[in-house]
Amino acid sequence: MSSDIENQTISGTIPVSDMPDDELSRFLKENSISLTLEEVRSLPEKLGRNPTLTELHIFNIQWSEHSSYKSSKKLLKQLPTESPKVILGPKEDSGIVELGTFKGKRYGIVVSHESHNHPSQVVPYEGAATGVGGILRDVLCMGAEVIATGDPLRFGDPFGKNKDRTRYIANAVVDGIASYGNAVGIPVLAGDVYFDACFDDNCLVNVVSLGLVKEEDIIHSYVPKEAAEEEYEVVLVGKATDNSGFGGAAFASLILDEEEAEINKGAVQVPDPFLKNMLIKATRRAFEVIREKKIKVGFKDLGAGGIMCATSELGSAAGFGMELDLDKVHVSMHNLPPYVIACSETQERFAWVVPKSFTQELLKIYNEDYDLPNIAEGAKATVIGKVTREKNYVLFHNGQKVCDAPIDEVTSGVLYDREQKPMEWNEKDPDIPEPVHYKEIILKILRHPTVASKADIYKHYDTEVQGRAVFRPGEADAGVMAPLPDEKVGVALSVDSNPKYGRISPYWGAVNAVFEAMRNVAATGAVPTAITDCLNYGNPEKPEAFWQFAEGVRGISDAARKISYYNTDLPVPVVSGNVSFYNESAAGKAVDPSPVIACIGVMDDFSKARGIQLLREGSYLFLVGERKHELGGSIYYEIHGGTGSSVPKPDFETAKKQIWSVIDAISTGKVLASHDISDGGLAAALAEMAIGPEGKGNLGVEVQLNDDLPTSTVLFSESPGFILEVSPEDAREIEKVFSRHGVDVFKIGEVTSSQKITIKHNEKEVCSIPLEEAKEAWLNGLSEALK
Amino acid sequence: MLMSKPKIAILQFPGVNCEYESKLACEQAGMEAEIYRWNSGEPLDTYDGFLLPGGWSYEDRVRAGAIAAKDPLLEQLREQAALGKPVIGICNGAQILVESGLIPNIDNTLRVDFALAPNINPRVSGYYCTWIHVMNSSKKQTAFNRTMKYEEVLPLPIAHGEGRFVTRNKELIDTLIKNDQIAFRYCNEEGNVINEFPVNPNGSLYSIAALTNPEGNVMAIMPHPERAMEKRQVPGFQGSYEESRQHGPGSKIFFSMKEYIEERRKK
Repeated sequence: MSSDIENQTISGTIPVSDMPDDELSRFLKENSISLTLEEVRSLPEKLGRNPTLTELHIFNIQWSEHSSYKSSKKLLKQLPTESPKVILGPKEDSGIVELGTFKGKRYGIVVSHESHNHPSQVVPYEGAATGVGGILRDVLCMGAEVIATGDPLRFGDPFGKNKDRTRYIANAVVDGIASYGNAVGIPVLAGDVYFDACFDDNCLVNVVSLGLVKEEDIIHSYVPKEAAEEEYEVVLVGKATDNSGFGGAAFASLILDEEEAEINKGAVQVPDPFLKNMLIKATRRAFEVIREKKIKVGFKDLGAGGIMCATSELGSAAGFGMELDLDKVHVSMHNLPPYVIACSETQERFAWVVPKSFTQELLKIYNEDYDLPNIAEGAKATVIGKVTREKNYVLFHNGQKVCDAPIDEVTSGVLYDREQKPMEWNEKDPDIPEPVHYKEIILKILRHPTVASKADIYKHYDTEVQGRAVFRPGEADAGVMAPLPDEKVGVALSVDSNPKYGRISPYWGAVNAVFEAMRNVAATGAVPTAITDCLNYGNPEKPEAFWQFAEGVRGISDAARKISYYNTDLPVPVVSGNVSFYNESAAGKAVDPSPVIACIGVMDDFSKARGIQLLREGSYLFLVGERKHELGGSIYYEIHGGTGSSVPKPDFETAKKQIWSVIDAISTGKVLASHDISDGGLAAALAEMAIGPEGKGNLGVEVQLNDDLPTSTVLFSESPGFILEVSPEDAREIEKVFSRHGVDVFKIGEVTSSQKITIKHNEKEVCSIPLEEAKEAWLNGLSEALK
Repeated sequence: MLMSKPKIAILQFPGVNCEYESKLACEQAGMEAEIYRWNSGEPLDTYDGFLLPGGWSYEDRVRAGAIAAKDPLLEQLREQAALGKPVIGICNGAQILVESGLIPNIDNTLRVDFALAPNINPRVSGYYCTWIHVMNSSKKQTAFNRTMKYEEVLPLPIAHGEGRFVTRNKELIDTLIKNDQIAFRYCNEEGNVINEFPVNPNGSLYSIAALTNPEGNVMAIMPHPERAMEKRQVPGFQGSYEESRQHGPGSKIFFSMKEYIEERRKK
């Protein structure tokens, strides 16, 4: 860049301060800018002049809900984000939680959690694939090795009025996730799937990813302080920039309109897992060199807002400015306007800030050693600008200065106080007569696609790549892996959120999501160590929807603090998260409030982890967690056509003690199998333990329950709890563990060789289901729903 | 004199994704391994054996393995294989060996006799990842079965969309049987070959899971032994930490390679 270009004044400003409202509105609409008039009119003051078209597009993206969290930010501050286990809270592209110290080095698990809901509804295969692609970059750019993903999915009713579209979306989303993650070589460790008509017009495709990094090797998403002394350059790496995904962040902040679906397709990015794989390899090499030579760098994923968002945040987070020449960006389309080059969301790209003395070596790794230009058309690494000490964000294009804004204004966003209005949930618990045949109801529940085995989905995913697997999805309540080849340490991951609980009570829906995610991790024997939240809600400009959001955040905050970290009063911190608003159809129908929680568990010895399958004839079955009349939102009510109101309202103190005692019980090594009670209730949980994850179980159960509750409540209420299988000779020891914590544990039956699920209530046999029949229902429910 | 450890090159074509665990697998079996970047230009003759790892070499353009089979590096690999050095292609590596004619190479003409066709699976279409069983079905000793008995059963994972061994000329199967080139066949846990899903997970002809060349030093195997190096990796394993780290079923193939290399050195 020659100095006469650098010194030139801005060109092409739009006289927004002089335009009448109607003219300005028209202008904004013509240019697909969704800023409000007030927002646009605030720009001249921030810039000291009228904005250019490029600047308008920049603020359009930066002030979108997706990028700025303008509605949510204030509320999110109540979440606990600190704990001694947190290495990095939710500040950068991913959070980092402590794994432990091995051979003198402290290791962290990097975690990120995102949504790709709108794109997946419009073009499900690409939408889901690019969702995976984006999250891998978030984790990688912290200097980590990406070691796992988890996929919480919510689809419409596969038997409802939109069943064809729903089945198409569900199958294409699974294919998209599989095709991307499998090709890059990242194993799937966890996931869950719910089907409900509230997702007919808005599926939810969330994705969680884990990485492994030594604390000393963490790379941050900001310019290092050395840039104050030394010249630093900005290197753009990856796919050639095109117009794909331009406005993706703004798209994520709009309500989906079926009629505009065709237009919106342009806002979805194009996945390229092959290139991603090669970028990861080359970047891994770059990390090695940087570590060897102790070079200070910044590194960031290009996601929403593309080059502009990544480079402005790299600079502003450390008090530097940026000066970029958009003509140096490698592009695959001609005559792209500057704002498209700056803001398009072309996939498979990263931005580095490196000392100029290192630039050539970095370029060689990507362009020669890993030969990007020859293996993927148009891909390469190239210098696009430099870090400046003035705190301005400056863009040149065709020799013209098209943006020159204070960098903190570009990144600081706007904040809104949204109105909240509580929504009453008026539905009462339905009055259902006690069933005559419990067996039929149990089989119906097992066949329900939300309860049924998800193996037909998981088997599309590579769960084995990298060789770290200990328990795969479905084998235990959380996926468990051995992250370090020579260490005992294990990592568990679970993702949870029951949409129907959120429908009844957005607060208890959130509490239950946190509790269930922790319970699932604890059921393997791991200690819940951190959580992430992906908050999927409706339109925040509607007071009722915003109230749901606020209640959800309050629920997460309460649960994360009060179901505290193992043997302490410290919270289980929220280390990463994402807010996805506007999950609403044009007809105004929002999804059920869905705060999807991922819980990361750590255990000292992965070989002590336990799965759900019953192992030994004659062993005892213990129930933890009293059965209560909490059928609201249950599958039992759903199959009778209702939702009800009696949502589980767990007591935090009891919840915490249950989790701690289950962890302690499993750590004795004397628990044979362990399963939490959730969707479908106690009967479904017992059946799943007998059937086994692959349907290979060959043992039955004989259970005897005695209480004053109706049989349907005992069998089908989804009150939180656990079932543990313990050998008779170890029963006393396990009971002692629970009594030490003051937690009730009930021996409810035995494992039998009879291959029947037999349940007696108050001495009366209520069902005796041949295992084969239970297997048939549970193993086929999902494929029947997705055919 | 202390012999140096056998040294294996893991051939890293663009798009493969199992090179790191493949390297670890070689190391766990007492060998050294280096990841060899496809364009590094280094000679191959300094290595004692070769591993073509799984993944999506060259993005599966044209067909899985088809482009890598034409890579100039394959010419060098053929020369090394002709010297008797062991070459194992796993999953996408197997597809490359079949596409290159190195497998089955019945009459040493490198004619492409087989293909790895899309799975036939009544349950899950396309890519399919699960654990299956295979048996050592080669009576003769090859570079890959020296540590196991004839018809010994191993649990191994598969993870592929195109793993069905097919050929136009079915008489070739008789030749392969005669030559003892069918290295592993899909079977159930008890060691019975049942030529239908789920025991045969992809519809492979004659339940073939792996083939060798006539000499037995080159093998194309669709299941992933490198993902079954420790007992903890096998679904349903129960035991102490120490037991969980003991050698898993896939390690037998790697120990066999090591033994084979060491014996060759003695000769």
